[in-house]
Amino acid sequence: MADTWPLNVDAKSPNDPVFVGTGELPSGRYPDRNFIGDLTHVGLLALKDAQMVPRHVDTILLIPNLHSAVDQADLIFSRMAEELGLIGHLKSSFMVHSGGSTSDNAVRLASGLIASGHARTVLVLQCERWGSADLNEMVTMLSKYGIPNEWEMPTGLQFNAIGALITRRYMHATQSSPEAMASVCVTLRKWAQLNPNAMYYGKPLTVEKVLSSKMVAEPLHALECPMLADGAVAFVMTSAENAKKRGLETTVRVAGSGGCVSHYSIGQEPDLAKLGWATAAKRAYEQSGWGPKDAQIAQIYDTYAAVTAAAVEGLEFCEPGEGARWFQSGAADPGGTLPCNTNGGMLSAGHTGVGGGTALLVEGVRQLLWRAPSQRQVTGVQRCIVGGTGGSYMDAQVLLLERTSKGGK
Amino acid sequence: MSNPIRDGFRAGLAQGELLVQKCNDCGGLNMYPRHACPHCQSLSLGWQKASGRGILHSYTVLRQGAPQGFEGDLPYALGVVKLQEGVQLLGRLIPDPDGNWDSYKCDDTVEFTPVSAESIERRPCASFKRINP
Ligand SMILES: [Zn+2]
Repeated sequence: MADTWPLNVDAKSPNDPVFVGTGELPSGRYPDRNFIGDLTHVGLLALKDAQMVPRHVDTILLIPNLHSAVDQADLIFSRMAEELGLIGHLKSSFMVHSGGSTSDNAVRLASGLIASGHARTVLVLQCERWGSADLNEMVTMLSKYGIPNEWEMPTGLQFNAIGALITRRYMHATQSSPEAMASVCVTLRKWAQLNPNAMYYGKPLTVEKVLSSKMVAEPLHALECPMLADGAVAFVMTSAENAKKRGLETTVRVAGSGGCVSHYSIGQEPDLAKLGWATAAKRAYEQSGWGPKDAQIAQIYDTYAAVTAAAVEGLEFCEPGEGARWFQSGAADPGGTLPCNTNGGMLSAGHTGVGGGTALLVEGVRQLLWRAPSQRQVTGVQRCIVGGTGGSYMDAQVLLLERTSKGGK
Repeated sequence: MSNPIRDGFRAGLAQGELLVQKCNDCGGLNMYPRHACPHCQSLSLGWQKASGRGILHSYTVLRQGAPQGFEGDLPYALGVVKLQEGVQLLGRLIPDPDGNWDSYKCDDTVEFTPVSAESIERRPCASFKRINP
């Protein structure tokens, strides 16, 4: 495999793919909302943020839902083209899917379509109804997805056990204490107190509370496991030339990306304390010319503290083995040296399935557009590192995003 | 659905043996068994009886939230074992005499432990037990 993948576009290219708008609905338990309604409303919010209407969109990419195969079929078969009034106008509508890392791959795909000319303006839509779905049904579904049916399903593996296998190895390899692991959850909860759209807004958390919650899958306590939530996010990407033509002075471009698929089944991961993060980070930094010190914020997939701690080590935000203690030091907190997961992340904003990573991505773009609510907007932020992963943490995906503004700010 | 690779592995378990797939062309070992050798793409694949010894890379004890059909097994322990042969797999861990798994630690040496054919019929997976140092 090639060591480097130079981008074929730069900030001056007319076909440079850029984000121009985002939309989001609150995440949590919303039995009064519904799937197609949420997708429609969140899409319109993103388009409004981009100063566009549906007719400006030529391609729709759908991020999958996991609560219902029938609802997912609506995504596959262009229902949103009809709902948004784009029949006969829309060029293409299709679903992209790599589980939790779908948003990263959707950005790569939208970027490729825009840079190559196959699309001009892409609307990416996501909605999940996990919070209102039958919990037992979802737990059973999650014990089948991303787990080989012949080899691992007979053991009784499920998603919290996968998180626990990673956590146990991470704690052993790095000698991280239960308090350090819990502190990652507490950092996320601090951010969620600044996000009215978060599931746990208005519900502060302490390390003591985490560690006194019941044991679910050793060494994971209940409050270290993500809570399934309803949620919806959307974003719009177009070419730099089109953004300019439409008078959009502030955009967010993709400076580079890197990825590493390190396993499919959890039993085949060579190092559960590290996963694919270092390789993915190296590839992203090489493509962009960035280093770990070049971003002011980061949004990293966070279903379990150890996944995020391993990620910040692979991304070189701290020394190897120091990820959990780095969180414990407050580095990623509001006011910290490198604010992370400024929406509260999946552990505190809510696990919206494939949408959890999408919500983190959208938060990164929103911060770079300087459109986050003032209480959590990181002042003057220019660059953001986004990290995602899917399935049984099968891959590590890194996107490097930067603000571009006509005034140079 | 017919799957001779899966069935061959399970037949080994039922006879109290941990089988590792061996490529008849390059001699490479594969775990889990594959439908073509991932090293040389050969379709000529056989079995080798594993030593059964390995290092416990990680493990967990599931106390709640079992998948449908596994509720009655709770609590149970799962571990990722790196076999001496250089391949790895996920299996069940046999509890200490007191019914818990307190003696287990990452990087412990563990050994494949046959269980009854009935048990393999019900849960076709390998079980491992910690070896006292
Ligand atoms: Zn071979």
